[in-house]
Amino acid sequence: MGKQINVALVGNPNTGKTSVFNQLTGLTQKIGNYPGITVEKKEGVTKISRILTAHILDLPGTYSLNASSLDENIVIELLLNKNHKDYPDVVVVVSDIENLKRNLLLFTQIKDLGIPTILAINMADRMERKGIELDIPQMEEQLKTKIALVSARKKTGFDELKKHIKNYSLLPTTPCCNVSSIDKSYFDKLQQTYPEQERYKLWLLITHDANFGELDRKTIASRNGLPQKTKDEIKKLQHKEVVARYQFINGMLKACFKQDLNLAKGMRAQLDKVLTHPVWGYLVFFVILLLIFQAIYDWSTIPMDWIDEGFAYLGQWVKLNLPAGMFTNLLAEGVVPGIGGIVIFIPQIAMLFLFISILEETGYMSRVVFLMDKSMRKFGLSGKSVIPLVSGTACAIPAVMAARNIENWKERLITILVVPFTTCSARLPVYLIIISLVIPDEHLLGIISYQALALMAMYIIGFGAAIAAAWIANKSLRVGTRSSFVIEMPDYKLPIFKNVGLTVVDKTKAFVVGAGKIILSISIILWVLASFGPSDTFGNARKNVQAEMASTDPMPQGVDMEQRIASYKLKHSYMGIMGRGIEPAVTPLGYDWKIGIALISSFAAREVFVGTLATIYSVGSDNQITIKERLAGEKNTATGKPLFTLASGISLLLFYAFAMQCMSTLAIVKRETNSWKWPLLQLFLMTGFAYLTALIAYQLLNL
Amino acid sequence: MIQEILVGVTVLAAVGYLVKKFFFKKNSSNSCGSGSCGCG
Repeated sequence: MGKQINVALVGNPNTGKTSVFNQLTGLTQKIGNYPGITVEKKEGVTKISRILTAHILDLPGTYSLNASSLDENIVIELLLNKNHKDYPDVVVVVSDIENLKRNLLLFTQIKDLGIPTILAINMADRMERKGIELDIPQMEEQLKTKIALVSARKKTGFDELKKHIKNYSLLPTTPCCNVSSIDKSYFDKLQQTYPEQERYKLWLLITHDANFGELDRKTIASRNGLPQKTKDEIKKLQHKEVVARYQFINGMLKACFKQDLNLAKGMRAQLDKVLTHPVWGYLVFFVILLLIFQAIYDWSTIPMDWIDEGFAYLGQWVKLNLPAGMFTNLLAEGVVPGIGGIVIFIPQIAMLFLFISILEETGYMSRVVFLMDKSMRKFGLSGKSVIPLVSGTACAIPAVMAARNIENWKERLITILVVPFTTCSARLPVYLIIISLVIPDEHLLGIISYQALALMAMYIIGFGAAIAAAWIANKSLRVGTRSSFVIEMPDYKLPIFKNVGLTVVDKTKAFVVGAGKIILSISIILWVLASFGPSDTFGNARKNVQAEMASTDPMPQGVDMEQRIASYKLKHSYMGIMGRGIEPAVTPLGYDWKIGIALISSFAAREVFVGTLATIYSVGSDNQITIKERLAGEKNTATGKPLFTLASGISLLLFYAFAMQCMSTLAIVKRETNSWKWPLLQLFLMTGFAYLTALIAYQLLNL
Repeated sequence: MIQEILVGVTVLAAVGYLVKKFFFKKNSSNSCGSGSCGCG
């Protein structure tokens, strides 16, 4: 029977670690989250020899073992915990040929933990072009390891890497760099207190907030006889440790690494000059954003329309072909549209991540961060927040997912929290119908439509609210996060399409599996609320409507009659009762119970607002002109005045601009933050703020 | 009758799933660093 070993892939970000992982595991990989946190866990299996297979774990990118982010803590947790089921038999540190010096800091730290460690130098195919020469035997001797020169792009060097993995038990586990000299007496005392433990492991436990199994940070630090260190002293020692490691690395590279500097620069420098230029850089970025925006907003609509039509057809098919009854109705009106409501987002998600992945792969994303970081940081955001904020104008769901690219937890959280303020495409039908009702169809200076200006104002309000909310969140959120700001400028590369494809598939799957179940469950519950009601009214809908219409001449027939019954049913359904129940709360905003129902039902998705109003007013939802005409003629039952005035219209626009009216976004925020705390906070704060602004707007404009 | 039972089961499953998601969280290890860093 064959043996299986655990192999951990570790490395700095942008070293091509994931490409190496993809090359080793191919389609055997599976992607999930680390338990309890929202960092991706990638694992797969590869055959090393006839009798040996390796379970490969692609750990999150980290610059060192001095953790400052959630991702980095995962690496440390695993490497320090021998009882962990994934504890590696051998670690493969992936480094990039052009950034060896920085990458080797992590290598020397891991080597000190006493785990067999292999160095895989990736992008080896670029050595010649960049004028790099390496003395591998001498490097192996100094680093006390085996080195494999690999190229994930050219698929070379992997046999050698597998050979080293196969012989992992022969690798020396002694440290290559003795850092205990930075405070010899302290490290000696530490080792005496815990003779059975690795010295560097104890040091890491003391310098981190984490606890691992029986070894507890506080008990180590307070064990009798061990000199106590203050936080400042520990920090100073950490700095000394890094300096000592770099001294060792510099010495080693001086002997083993040669580079012709004339070949090192070239196109990269020329491109950087343009792409990070204070004027041209923004211009190029603007054009790229426009392209992404166009893809999400426009190109995606083609497959989205197919999906929409497909599910509408499926719903119809279910209704016509399955035995009539309650369950068939649930399938046709609840489950099928619910699944459709999940699947319809796939083109937008796939398109966004296709672009993000290409931007990451080519190395351009780092230039964007460099360009935007300074201005975004003032509001507690990252340079990378620009992508979610812009894509949020198409749909908040892929935008929230895109925030995963932000390493710093606080910046990522703030981005996730404020993205739903940006004007998503689902708000558009609501805006269009309300603007057409309350803003005059006239032109400023005979050219610019007031209605177009109003629509543009809604987009500006949305973006402004997102930025303002980010600033407030940055000032008020007490989220512990240690961040050392590093902008890395990787070399420009052509994207590896296998990586791009895998990213698109992973992200799409994560949405469908993760948020999809929540969306479907809520859709089913909303269907129940809209499809059932008290038996005396809801149950006798047909009889009651016929009785009401008895005096009407001519009495409505056919489709008209059916629409009136549907309207009556909705009014007397549990959702209708809820709508009438919240009427006292929405009256000060200028709404009546009918809008109340539309507000509740549009919690499923904002665009449902128009469809619900169409049902309540007994008109076909496709016919916007008819809806508009009906709404324009509608009177407020309390005041007898027109329901849709400038005051109530602006109030409704502001409510939709700020309220968290989207269960899918809440579901994805829950998934991305791994907590209900943040989506609930969004729901109550955003909706509370929406209520307040709508109230003030209505009351002021109604004076 | 069967249709009503199936509706009941589906709705119960949906409510049960949300309740489970909402109220019963997996215990996560609290060893991922300082502060509330997404560890649930």
